[in-house]
Amino acid sequence: MKKKVMVLLLTAAMVVSAIGCGSKAADTTAPAAEAPAADAAEAPAADDAAADTAAAGGDNTLTVWCWDPAFNIYAMQEAEKVYQKTNPDFKLNIVETPWEDIQTKLTTAASSGDLSSMPDIMLMQDNAFQKNVISFPDAFTDLTASGIDYSQFGASKVAYSVVDGKNYGVPFDNGAVIACYRTDVLEEAGFTAADFTDITWSDYIAKGKEVLAKTGKPLLSCQAGESDVIMMMLQSAGSSLFDAEGNPSMVDNAVLKEVMQTYAELVQSGVLIEVNDWDQYVGSITNSTVAGTINGCWIMASIQTAADQSGKWAITDMPKLDKASGATNYSNNGGSSWAVTSNCKNTDLAFDFLAKTFAGSVEFYETILPSSGALATYLPAADSTVYAEPQEFFGGEPVFAQITEFAGKIPTNNTGVYYYEARDAVAVAITNVVAGADIDAELKTAEDTVNFAMGK
Amino acid sequence: MSQPKRKLTLNRRHNLIGWAFLTPATLLIVAMSFFPMFKALLLSFKTGIGVKMQWTGITNYVRMFQDGVFVQALKNTFLYLIIQVPIMLILALILASMLNDRNLKFKGLFRTAIFLPCATSLVSYSIIFRSLFAVDGFINAVLTKLGILSTGYNFLAHPTSARIVIILALVWRWTGYNMVFYLSGLQNIEYSVYEAAKIDGASAFQAFRKITVPLLKPTILLTAIMSTNGTLQLFDESMNLTNGGPANATVTMSHYIYNVSFKYVPNFGYAAAMSYLILILVAVLAYFQMKVGDKRD
Amino acid sequence: MIKIRSACRYLFLIIASLISVFPLIWMAISATNTSVDVVAGRMIPGTYLVQNFKNLLASQDVAGAMINSFKYSVTLTILSLIVCSLAGYGFEIFHDRGKDTVMSILLLAMMVPFASTMIPLFQMFSKAQLLNTTMGFILPTISTPFLIMLFRQSARSFPHDIIEAARIDGLSEVGIFFRMFFPTMRSTYAAAMTITFMNAWNSYLWPKVIMQDNASITMPMLVANLKEGYVTDYGMLMLAVLMCTIPTIIIFFLLQKSFAEGITGAVK
Repeated sequence: MKKKVMVLLLTAAMVVSAIGCGSKAADTTAPAAEAPAADAAEAPAADDAAADTAAAGGDNTLTVWCWDPAFNIYAMQEAEKVYQKTNPDFKLNIVETPWEDIQTKLTTAASSGDLSSMPDIMLMQDNAFQKNVISFPDAFTDLTASGIDYSQFGASKVAYSVVDGKNYGVPFDNGAVIACYRTDVLEEAGFTAADFTDITWSDYIAKGKEVLAKTGKPLLSCQAGESDVIMMMLQSAGSSLFDAEGNPSMVDNAVLKEVMQTYAELVQSGVLIEVNDWDQYVGSITNSTVAGTINGCWIMASIQTAADQSGKWAITDMPKLDKASGATNYSNNGGSSWAVTSNCKNTDLAFDFLAKTFAGSVEFYETILPSSGALATYLPAADSTVYAEPQEFFGGEPVFAQITEFAGKIPTNNTGVYYYEARDAVAVAITNVVAGADIDAELKTAEDTVNFAMGK
Repeated sequence: MSQPKRKLTLNRRHNLIGWAFLTPATLLIVAMSFFPMFKALLLSFKTGIGVKMQWTGITNYVRMFQDGVFVQALKNTFLYLIIQVPIMLILALILASMLNDRNLKFKGLFRTAIFLPCATSLVSYSIIFRSLFAVDGFINAVLTKLGILSTGYNFLAHPTSARIVIILALVWRWTGYNMVFYLSGLQNIEYSVYEAAKIDGASAFQAFRKITVPLLKPTILLTAIMSTNGTLQLFDESMNLTNGGPANATVTMSHYIYNVSFKYVPNFGYAAAMSYLILILVAVLAYFQMKVGDKRD
Repeated sequence: MIKIRSACRYLFLIIASLISVFPLIWMAISATNTSVDVVAGRMIPGTYLVQNFKNLLASQDVAGAMINSFKYSVTLTILSLIVCSLAGYGFEIFHDRGKDTVMSILLLAMMVPFASTMIPLFQMFSKAQLLNTTMGFILPTISTPFLIMLFRQSARSFPHDIIEAARIDGLSEVGIFFRMFFPTMRSTYAAAMTITFMNAWNSYLWPKVIMQDNASITMPMLVANLKEGYVTDYGMLMLAVLMCTIPTIIIFFLLQKSFAEGITGAVK
């Protein structure tokens, strides 16, 4: 019996190997790619079929890469419907691709000098924009003269995708920082959310200690080894890890030093607990381990997965630094923008599509907000009545209008080309500082690490 | 006179047939591995951002030894290699010889269970390992109950304990994988040899040392080379379990190469140079392993 | 005395099995719970399995990804086993200095991290119009030094007198390979098949570079899709991961007898 199985497998194997070429051609999904896929070893590079996989030029179809079915994919689908009203033949081919994969595909294609597999439009993390445009200038299309009105977006948001004075992105989702608090826990400690509005970090720590003492719950949790909280604090005072010339600015950066001190104090006081990964971070919120969190406003979607906590949350602005001169209660974390690639054959269509939807339709933003919570950075949308709807989950407050208002007050920062290098170096520094190392020495090491990466 | 001549042609014929057997595989490797490797080698002598590259000689090779993160990664990787590979291979050998026993019940179940870790998806296993070793996780709960610890210890936040977690995870994941090769290798040993040894009064340990290990030598060599290669290119655990932390204490060379290529401003020349260092290290280690283990008796 | 030793052995194996299986059980239990429960570490089976399944089907093309993964993995496994066992056999049975040297050189091919050879490889495949195809998926890994060496090492225990006898009987060299070597080495083939299938099934970095449309994604890519986004539904994720793991387990369970209780034992 067993022998028969093996014989059968062997026969199958030989058949497959014998008709190897045939099987290849038959299972290809893209019809255009089918024919030339004759044999790997001798397949000639057919130039005429170069644009088969992605960017279908000429007709009325655009290929888009983005990643979240509940959020940006949904938004694209709605945008497609909006645009179809004036252009009925228009179609989008949305390919679900996680951000990390978009980055890998982009890097691979651009480095190999063969951009033919790129889509027309891709969604890009704001933090990676500078790095990618400067590393692969040939991969993107300049949008400055595309007819998109950039004055309709928050200035700090637009800045992420501006390289050498040219616009390369259409701003999309909002990363405005919000501070969220569990009102039931605060009440137990004798506070209300108003006590945490427009405060400084030293107030926050003092009140946080009281909450901890009375309820046993820290106010805040975050991922160890990540520098999100550091970066939020830094930007809230308009400071960056790089100066205007793009050189790392850490050792002589008084704001960064204050941020590091504040962070260490948060950890030592127990007001902030560090967890080991993102899942545990989300868990600490939904399991009521902590009494609040501070993050980009997109964190609301994760908070709302704990349906039993409806009505027990309040949203306000984040604490500001005590000493820094430009300190504000507003910052940004995360968010993304749409980029048009250089592989886009029909740029007029792509420009017009983006200008009439993401950069020109309040109605579009009104449609996507209720079911996806996709908060716009398109300022005219803030005046919409849909944005002013009270939100049951967050204590019946019109939080969307509130957050859009925060978004307009965020200080601009300079992500820099070497953003991820600097971010990781700072994460190493803060890990060591929390373990007791000297701040100045660690900042020096971090700056050296970034300088090294930049080849200095 | 005619006899040796015929033998010669037969030998030559066999020689040619031998080459024919290995030609398809060899050609594929040349096209799919050596050609890209050659391009990477050229790249390793270049520097630049993205596509703008220029020649730079051996700068990249000098640079990596001045790179604090890379040197740290090199040290971490060797630590894993020295501790984890021997533990894992010995454990796999013991398990394989235990499961090779005819009289053992539920063999199939045991085998499948012990193989499972390497089939378990990285996504779920990294989530589980992190939560097991969390401050309020299972391991801490047990240790505090037993009175070994007074309060929860954050294993992943301290360099030594984080490295131990990585080593445990590696042993957990790959022991069953190596066991498969030993089990299959053991099938080529006549079972009667064991029975004869038993009659002669040999203990299980003696049979293991005198029969199993020598006869499995070709397979042990294979797994040793593969594990050395796998560990020096270790990526998954560093990336998913600890993300290289705390403060780069667990980062591996492959993880750093990935960051330099895809997370940071891409510097493929430098990444290629680091990759070639890995090649040199593995090749040297494999050379010695083959010297010791690849003799035909 | 013997009884105690035997009991100890079972105890050891049971503990090793439990430790090995634990994450899989956790995964299976998690697949029946809501996302919030999974994150809270709930270890009791819930009632949310059907809902997770519905959500998964609604958000992802599970059937398509499964079919793709099977198509790619099975094709790759079959081709790979043929090509590599031929080579391993050739390297050992006809071995001489030249072939031993070639073998050592071939081993170098696995020693460079894939991240560094991926870009030239992508360039080749893009030019050859192999993006989004089965061939594109399988070509780089049909021939691996690992499998060649596995077959070479096990061919070492293949008795040479069988070959001599077969030659005298007038069997061709290819005939000897398929009629003698192949059935005798069943345990090696079974082990190689398990491992190759598993590696193909789980491979991720290469497919994610060359698969660029929704219709050609694999199961690991589908799992990655579920992790992205602002909210992760962990119950649904665990269900997908479970579905992604089960095929390998089934293959292992079916084949384990073949490689662990091979022909030599059965002859007796």
